[in-house]
Amino acid sequence: MYRILLAGDGGQGIQLIADIICHSAFHEGHEISQIPNYGLEQRGGVSLAFVQISSESIVYPKFSKPDILLIMSPQARVRAASYLGHDQTEILDIENFKDILEKNNISARSQNIFFLGMIAKKLAEKDLINLNLVKKLLTDKLSSKLGWEQNEKAWDVGVNI
Amino acid sequence: MRRSDDKQFITGAEVVVRAAKDAGAEIMYGYPITPATEVFTGWIRAKEKYLQTEDEIAAGFAVCGAIIAGQKAFTATAGPGHVLMQDALSMSEGMRLPFVAIVAQRGGPSSGTVIYSQQEVTLACLGGNGEGLRFVYSPSSLEELYILTRQAFNDAWQYRFPSILLTDGYLLKTRGVVDWKKIPVIKNIAAKSVVASGANAHLQNIYTLEEELYQKIGDFTNDFKNASAEIMASEEVETQDADILVVAHGIVGASAVKAVKNLRAQKIKAGLFRPITLQPFDNHNFDRLAQKARCILVVESSLGQLARIARFEMAPEIATPMKYLQSPAQGIEPEQIEQAVKDLI
Amino acid sequence: MPENLAKFCPGCGYPIALTVMHRVLKERDVVNDAVLGLDIGCALLAWNFLPINTFQTHHGRVTPVMMGAKNARPESVAIGYTGDGGAYAIGWQYLCHAVRRDDPIMIVVINNTLYGMTGGQTAPTSLQGQVTSTDLTGVTEKEFFGPEFLRPLASPDAFIARTAVNNPAQMMDFYNKALDAQKAGHFSLIEILSFCPTNWGTVGAGTLTHLNDIAKVFKTGEIKK
Repeated sequence: MYRILLAGDGGQGIQLIADIICHSAFHEGHEISQIPNYGLEQRGGVSLAFVQISSESIVYPKFSKPDILLIMSPQARVRAASYLGHDQTEILDIENFKDILEKNNISARSQNIFFLGMIAKKLAEKDLINLNLVKKLLTDKLSSKLGWEQNEKAWDVGVNI
Repeated sequence: MRRSDDKQFITGAEVVVRAAKDAGAEIMYGYPITPATEVFTGWIRAKEKYLQTEDEIAAGFAVCGAIIAGQKAFTATAGPGHVLMQDALSMSEGMRLPFVAIVAQRGGPSSGTVIYSQQEVTLACLGGNGEGLRFVYSPSSLEELYILTRQAFNDAWQYRFPSILLTDGYLLKTRGVVDWKKIPVIKNIAAKSVVASGANAHLQNIYTLEEELYQKIGDFTNDFKNASAEIMASEEVETQDADILVVAHGIVGASAVKAVKNLRAQKIKAGLFRPITLQPFDNHNFDRLAQKARCILVVESSLGQLARIARFEMAPEIATPMKYLQSPAQGIEPEQIEQAVKDLI
Repeated sequence: MPENLAKFCPGCGYPIALTVMHRVLKERDVVNDAVLGLDIGCALLAWNFLPINTFQTHHGRVTPVMMGAKNARPESVAIGYTGDGGAYAIGWQYLCHAVRRDDPIMIVVINNTLYGMTGGQTAPTSLQGQVTSTDLTGVTEKEFFGPEFLRPLASPDAFIARTAVNNPAQMMDFYNKALDAQKAGHFSLIEILSFCPTNWGTVGAGTLTHLNDIAKVFKTGEIKK
């Protein structure tokens, strides 16, 4: 059972990367559970995605002890506070990646793809997903949209961290 | 997304849409309200017949009209919309209309949250100005969501009582893997019109004298009791020698299954009684298990709406103490249930 | 006065409509007498936005709530904010009867031609042909002209009008006239065409263009008897 909690502001693309991770894992034959969590506002609120990947069927969509916790904004940091403090949790806080993001000129709109690359790489190392498939799904989803070069670059940087 | 071996990665809302379609539903009347909206937009995207009405009351009464005319119709709503839907559900109860409503519980009262709760149990079971002659189903997984939606349609049309598929914002928004091969084939009960051409039917929902209504209620209640015997359902997990009997429904029931299995792995004798139909409640099996247990723990995301049913349904001679883990409008994870059971020991 | 982070989407018209109204209330020195009721939808996000008494209500029900509030405290300035769905779908009958009774309340209808908070479903004011998530091939029904339909039911002294968030001068004028009508004991309604880039899928100047397109169908100005 592998648990990933993604947290950011609405509009940062949290749900998009959750979708891609989940569809990739589904393709590998795993049991998956994915659930978003957000409030009223259409924009600007906190957006969470709970992802579980397992070999057995998953009974409950939410959890409090993630294996990976992604925090992409100050609001998300506050919201995710109750999910911190577990030894097993690997925290990816955007604060700690400010330098890398800047150095590689990764735009705000592509930050989520950078983290998708990082997380996908970790999952691939655990044999949970296939990196090429993730890249393909990403390409299918975003290559015809604005800012693809930025996104593709962000993916490459993330995967190669 | 579907893999070649019939497994699909889909949301609860999409499962409901498929179930309604497979059940032979011909039309959906709806009004947008979170977290039920996706059932409506999913039905529309599947190119099925629908109408968005001016409010939930219009949607509910349009469903009634469709049913009277013999068309399998349904609606989906939540929270404040569920409150409004009780008007049409009440008429359906009084006129024996096979009304099917998908209700996605959200935080209450009032606008509460748009997210989740188990706080609409009482409303679903007893919401009209009558005696609660309606079937209420509480699915705990995506598979059960499909099966119980199919059943809601069949039971409604077979026994002619309104049926509420009572789910919640979590289950409808969860995307999970459904193995369609594992789901049994279900035959549909056919719809038929009460006012078919030449039928000369006359349908009341108001009576002149007390005695008439009293008689009617008696007849309806008999029918409901007979139907109940066929319909009531529950699941038991690890109850063989359970000291602590956990009682939970819906997605909290799923959480409790995990909790009970974890507890057993720690040699703690916990078992789970999970009502699948909240109404009629499977009191036969519940009584049997309640009698044997040392203590009952009712777990729910409300302040006692399930507990009220359990208390009411439990045979009066059973003295097993009842305790409660109540987290209104919040999810309850397996670890919380495990801890609550441990605290009881 | 503590600052609250507004939860409206970037580019939303609500903050404009609300702050212009607040300015008018201040100029008329009635800020403390104002009570603002909010229907369900994006209006809810205004619950802690202005430094005036504000309360959320239920969908379509803000009109009878403000009627009750005004009846209880006639010296208050009763204002109800609602979307086009709350006003012309679920709450339509209440508007008709408030108008017939000439309830001395002010109803502001923020018209973005969609159900915004639930993600863009068809509303009564959706334009014919508009594609929404509940009309995938385009809305077939004719547009709903709320102010125009209410006018024949209303007292000649009731103030009924339509304006747009990109016309602050007209908005201010209409708020003043609406509050004058309330002061004289009559009903008032202002429909305000408003930006909704999130659900319109527009960016920057495209949002303004879209609003101007809507304004070709829903004409601004006072609706006179």
